[in-house]
Amino acid sequence: MQGELHGPHFLLTPCCQLPAACCPLMIAYHPYHDSIISFPIEGGNVTQQANLRAGIDIGGTFTDMLLFDEASGTFTIGKTLTTPGEPSEGVMNAIREVNALTSTAPSDIAQIVHGTTLVTNALIERKGARTALITTKGFRDALEIAREHRYDLYDLMIELPEPLAPRELRFELDERVLSDGSVLKAIDDGEIRALVDRLKAEEIEAVAVCLIHSYVNPDHERQIGAAFADLAPDMTVSLSSDVVPEIREYERTSTTVANVYVRPLTERYLQNLVEAFAAAGFDGSVFIMLSSGGLSSVEAAQRYPIRLVESGPAAGALAAAHMGKISGRPRLLSFDMGGTTAKCCLIDETGPTHSADFEVGRVYRFKQGSGFPVSVPVIELIEIGAGGGSIARIDNLGLLKVGPDSSGADPGPACYGRGGTQPTVTDADLVLGYLDPDHFLGGAMQLDVEAARTAIGNLGSQLGMTVEQTAWGIHQIVNEQMASAARIHAIERGEDARLYPMFAFGGAGPVHAYGVAEILRSPEVIVPFGAGVGSTIGFLVAPIAFDFVRTVVGRLESLDWSDIERKFAEMMAEGTDMVVAAGADPAQVTAQRSAEMRYVGQGHQVRVDLPDGELSAATIPALIEAFERTYQRLYGRVAEGNPIEAINWRVIVSAAAPDLALESFGKHAVDGANPLRGERRVYIPAMGDYETVPVYDRYALDRTFRATGPMIIEERESTIVVGPGAAVSVDAFASIVIELPQSA
Amino acid sequence: MQQIDAVRLEVMWNRLISVVNEQAAALMRTSFTSIVREAGDLSAGVFDARGNMIAQAVTGTPGHINAMATCIHHFLHVFPAATLRPGDVLVTNDPQKTSGHLHDFTVITPVFLEEQLVGFFGNTCHVLDIGGIGLSTDARSVFEEGLFVPITKLYDAGAPNTELLKILAANVRTPEPVLGDIHAQAAGNDVGANRLIEFMREFELTTLEPLADEIIARSERAMRQAIATLPDGVYQNEVWSDGHEEPVRLRVSITKKGDELDVDWAGSSPESKRGINVVLNYTHAYSTYALKCALAPDVPNNEGSFRPVRVTAPERSILNALPPAAVGARHILGHFLPGAIFGALAEVIPQRIMAEGAANIWNLQFMGHDLNDDPFAYVWFSCGGTGARATKDGLHATAFPSGISGVPAEVIEQLSPVVMYAREIRQDSGGPGQFRGGCGQRLVLGVRTTRPYTFSGLFDRLHNPAQGFAGGNNGAAGSIRLSTGEVIQGKGSLELDPSTQITLELPGGGGFGPVADREPAAIERDLRTGIVSSGSATRDYGWSG
Repeated sequence: MQGELHGPHFLLTPCCQLPAACCPLMIAYHPYHDSIISFPIEGGNVTQQANLRAGIDIGGTFTDMLLFDEASGTFTIGKTLTTPGEPSEGVMNAIREVNALTSTAPSDIAQIVHGTTLVTNALIERKGARTALITTKGFRDALEIAREHRYDLYDLMIELPEPLAPRELRFELDERVLSDGSVLKAIDDGEIRALVDRLKAEEIEAVAVCLIHSYVNPDHERQIGAAFADLAPDMTVSLSSDVVPEIREYERTSTTVANVYVRPLTERYLQNLVEAFAAAGFDGSVFIMLSSGGLSSVEAAQRYPIRLVESGPAAGALAAAHMGKISGRPRLLSFDMGGTTAKCCLIDETGPTHSADFEVGRVYRFKQGSGFPVSVPVIELIEIGAGGGSIARIDNLGLLKVGPDSSGADPGPACYGRGGTQPTVTDADLVLGYLDPDHFLGGAMQLDVEAARTAIGNLGSQLGMTVEQTAWGIHQIVNEQMASAARIHAIERGEDARLYPMFAFGGAGPVHAYGVAEILRSPEVIVPFGAGVGSTIGFLVAPIAFDFVRTVVGRLESLDWSDIERKFAEMMAEGTDMVVAAGADPAQVTAQRSAEMRYVGQGHQVRVDLPDGELSAATIPALIEAFERTYQRLYGRVAEGNPIEAINWRVIVSAAAPDLALESFGKHAVDGANPLRGERRVYIPAMGDYETVPVYDRYALDRTFRATGPMIIEERESTIVVGPGAAVSVDAFASIVIELPQSA
Repeated sequence: MQQIDAVRLEVMWNRLISVVNEQAAALMRTSFTSIVREAGDLSAGVFDARGNMIAQAVTGTPGHINAMATCIHHFLHVFPAATLRPGDVLVTNDPQKTSGHLHDFTVITPVFLEEQLVGFFGNTCHVLDIGGIGLSTDARSVFEEGLFVPITKLYDAGAPNTELLKILAANVRTPEPVLGDIHAQAAGNDVGANRLIEFMREFELTTLEPLADEIIARSERAMRQAIATLPDGVYQNEVWSDGHEEPVRLRVSITKKGDELDVDWAGSSPESKRGINVVLNYTHAYSTYALKCALAPDVPNNEGSFRPVRVTAPERSILNALPPAAVGARHILGHFLPGAIFGALAEVIPQRIMAEGAANIWNLQFMGHDLNDDPFAYVWFSCGGTGARATKDGLHATAFPSGISGVPAEVIEQLSPVVMYAREIRQDSGGPGQFRGGCGQRLVLGVRTTRPYTFSGLFDRLHNPAQGFAGGNNGAAGSIRLSTGEVIQGKGSLELDPSTQITLELPGGGGFGPVADREPAAIERDLRTGIVSSGSATRDYGWSG
C-alpha cells in the first residue's frame, strides 16, 4: 500500500508487486476486511494516456473519488476523510491516493467532475455573505410575507426561517414594471447611485436584485447591475432576471438572495480547488455537478452556485438511472437509506424525475414548509426522516414510533458502545441478526449486541413485548414509513410504485430494501456493486447541460410566437456558449424545449415537451395535442375544449452524455473465494421466529450464482437481507438481483 | 383477528393514513379549482361501516376537515347501510349537514369487500361556483345563495345520476370545472377504496371495526388524558366581530369536568339577516379544532378525539343558524371561534395557546373591464398577523385558523388588470407585549381600466382589534381607505372610479405578556428592522434606548 490512509478505504490495487499499469489483475482492498476480490482486466492496463476521468464527491464525512479509465473500462475507488476547514485538501488527498494506487499522475487525468455539499451546508449553517436585497418600492417584504401559510395545521408554535437578507438590508427603488413588461415608473439613475454608495458604507458583500416583473422586462435590473459593476466592482451582485427569470416574486427573490448569499464562498472555494488541481499538474477540464443532474463549467457554477444545492443526492439518482438503463430496467425506484434519512427517486425512460423547486434549511422539527424555497431545477428526491440512527420511542397513544429524531454519529445507536442508550433502527437490525456484530463496516467497528438488546428491551417492556418482537416492530415500522412516502410520491407523479423495481444503496438501504419492496409489492430489488460510492458513478455519466427558463403567460391563441421564439433563441445561444465553453463539441450540442402549461383556471402546470421546429399560430394544434397527451398520462383524463394557457418556457441545452460502459463490472469473477461464508440465525417475520440462514460473501458471487431466500449477503458497507422464496442472482454488471415471490 | 399489539396497530394505522393521503393526492392533482390545488382547501377521510371516521389526510382547513368528520350519519339516515350497493356514490352540499355553505360538496363512497359493506371514503371540496349571488354576505336567505343539492345519489350501482348532473350544469356559471371537480371527488374516493381493499386482504381483515375500535379508543383516551390536565371549572370569554350591519357577540363557556369538555356558545348574537351565519356543524368544526391545537396537537384527528368534546349553541343563534338563514360567508365568524376559545383558556393554560390574531382571511374581489374592454373578475385571499405565543412572537401576515396560502402579486397582475402598488409588513400593527403579535400587511391596489370597477370584500376587525393575552396589548385594527380620502366599511361592494386606489391595512395579532417583560434585545431588533417605529417603541414599549 502506498500513501497514508485517512479512514476506511476501498481501493483497487495491483495484486502483485508490479506497478498498477502492468498488473493483469486489479484487486479491491479494504483495510477493515479480510477478503479480497479481484477484477481480471482483459488486455488492458490502466493506461498512461489521458483517458482518465475522475468523479469526486465531498460528503459530510467522506470524500469519495472514482477514477475511470475509458480505454480499459477499469475503475479505481478512493475514500478519504472530508476536511471541513479547507475541503480542497481532502480532494487533493483523494487524488493523491488514487494516483499512487494506479501509478498515474494528475496530469494523466483528462477530466474531473466534482460535487459538493458546500452550498447546502452554508445555507443550513447560515455561513454565507452579509447580503442585501434591492427591490421595487412596496415589495421589500415579499421575502418575509412569503406564502402567508402555516405548514402545520395544529401546531401553534411553528417558526418560519429568518430571511437571508434581514429587513434592514432590504432596500427599495422607486420604479415599476407592469405584467406586460411596460414601464409604469422609470428607474432613476441618481437613486441607484445613492443606494450603491449606501451599500458600500454598510460594508455589504453581496447584493440580490429582484424587481417586480423583471422576468418579463429585465432592463431596470440590468441598469442596477451595470451601476454596481461601475461603482462597486468588488461587490458580488446577482440579478433575479439572470438567476431565475420566472414568475412569483417570493420564490424568485428567495432564490436570488440564496444564490448571492453563497456566491463569495463558492467562488473562493472553486478558485482554490482549480488552483490546487493546476499546482498538482492537472491540465484537463473541470466540471461541477448540478442538482439537475447536468454538469456545468466552473465559471457558471461560480455565478449560479444555488444550482449546486442538491448535487450529491442528484448524482446518486443519476447513477441508479445509468445502472438501470444498461441493465435493461429503465424504470426504477431508487432507494438510498443512510444514517439519518432515506431518499427515494422515481426513474423512468427519460431518467430521474425532475422538479423546478426545492426547499432548503428547515428550521422547525425538520418539517416540510419550515425552510425557504429555491427555484432551481433539481432531480426530485423525497426525503424521509428514517435512517439507521433513527430513534424508536413510545408516543402518547402507547404506539411504537420511529424517528425523525436521530442519534446521529455521536453517541450513535446503543450498539456502537459510545454511550447511546436509546434504541435505534441499527440496534433493531442487529438484534434481528441482519447485521453481524463482528463485520460491521467490514469489521471496522465491533457492535455491542447486549447494549442493543438492553435498549430495545427497555422499550419493549413498556409495551409488554419481547426484545425480538420489539426489534421486529421497529424494523417493520420504519419500512412502512418509507413505503408510504414512496407510494405517495409515485401517485403524485401519476405513477404506480408497484411497477417499479427498487434500486437500493446507502449503508442501510440493502438491509431494509426487501421489506420495503414487500410492502410496495415491487417485483424486484437490485443492489448495485459498490453501493457505498454509488454517487461518484453518477458524476461520470452526467452530460454537460444547463437549464434556462423564461416566463411568457397567456392563452395559446393569444401568444406572441415571435417573442417566444426570440426568447428561445436567446436561451439557446447563451446555453450553447456555456456548454461549448465547458468543452463540449459544438456539433454535439442539443436543445430540449418544453413549456409549462395548464387549463385556464387550474393552479398547477404540467411540463410538456415541445414539438420540433419553429412555434407559430400554426403549431397550436400540435401544442394542444402534446399538452393533452401529457395530461392524460398524468391524470388519466383530459378536459377537452377547455382553453389552455402557458406560463413558463424552458430549454435544456446539453452535450451528449458520456457513455460509461463499466466493463470491469461485467467481467468480475471469483478468485477462488468460497461464496458461502457461513450461517447465521436471523429473524424471519413469516415464521415469527429466528431461523438459520446461509450468509454469502458478495464479492465472491459470480454470474452463475442462483439461490433462493432466505439468506444474508454481506458486503463491506452494507448487508443485503433476502426473505423466504425470493430468487437471487447476479447480473452482468455485478448487481445482486432479488426477485420477490409473487403473492396472489 | 388476532389481538392488536402496539406494532401491528401502528403498522395498520400508518397504512390507513397512507391510503387517505393517496385519496387526497389523487383529488388534488385532478381538481379544477385553484384553491383546492394551491391551498389544499379540501378534506379526505376513511370511515368504518358504522360511520366513524378513523383516519384523515394530512391536508386541508379545519372547516372542511372537522365538518366532514361527523357527516356520515346524515347520509346513513337518508340511505340506510342495508340499502347501499357497490357502485353507489352519495353527494350533498347541504350546509347544515356538512361544512356550512353551498359552495362545499361532500362526496361519500361506500366500500364493499366480498359484497360486505366495510367502510366509507369521503371528501369535501370547495367548488368554483354554485350559482346564486356568488360568495358574498349579501344574501338574505340560503335560497339566494345558489343550488341546494340534498343528500342524493351521484351514482346508483355504477350508473351516473344524469338528471342531477343536468340540473347542476344548468345552475352554475362554470359547469365544466364544477362537474369536473365532482367527478374528481368520486375518483379520489375510488383510489382510496381500491387501496383499502388491498390493505384488508393483505392483513386478512374482513371488517374494519376491531381496528377502528382500537384507533378510536386510543385517540379518545389520549384526548381525555389531555383534557384531564386542565383543572375542573368553567372558562368563559366573550369576543366581538364587526358583523354585517351591527357588531356580533360571540360568547363561549367551556365547562371542564373530569376528562370531558362542554363548549357552549349561549349568549352569542342571534341569527343575522345576512350571509354571515354559521351552522352548528361548522361551529363544532372550529371549536374542536381550537381545542385540539391547544390541548392535543399530536393526537390524531378522528372520531375518538371528538368524543370527549360536546359543542352546543342555541338554535337560531348566529352560531347555530337554521334554514333558511343565509350562510355564504360563514367562514368569517368561524375564524373568530379559536381566538374566543383560546381567550377562555388563557389563564389556565397560557403556555399552550396564542393570543387573538387577525382571525378571518380577507377575501378581495375585483370585477370590471380591462384595457381591451374585456370583462374580468378576480378573487384572492390575504392575511393579517397571528397572535403572539407565550414564548414566541406572532407570525406576520399568516393565515390562522384557516390553512390557505396567499397569491403572488405577479400572478394576480398576470391574470387580471389589478395592480398591486405595495404589499408590505404593516409597521406597528403587532400587539406589543413580552411577545409581540404578528404584523398585518398593507396593500395598495388599483385597476388598469378605463371604466369604473367593482371592489367587494369580506373583511372584519376594522372595529374590533385582536386582543392581547396575559397582559399583552391589542393588535392594530384593520382599515380600508380610498385614494379619494374616503374610509370604507368591511363588507359589501363599491363601484370605484378607474383612477381610485385602495389602501388596505390588515389587522395585526395581539401581544402576549406585559410589555415590561420584553427582552431589550427584541425591542432593539424590531427597531432595527423597522417592524416597530421609534415612536411606538417610546409610546408602547417605554423604550428610552
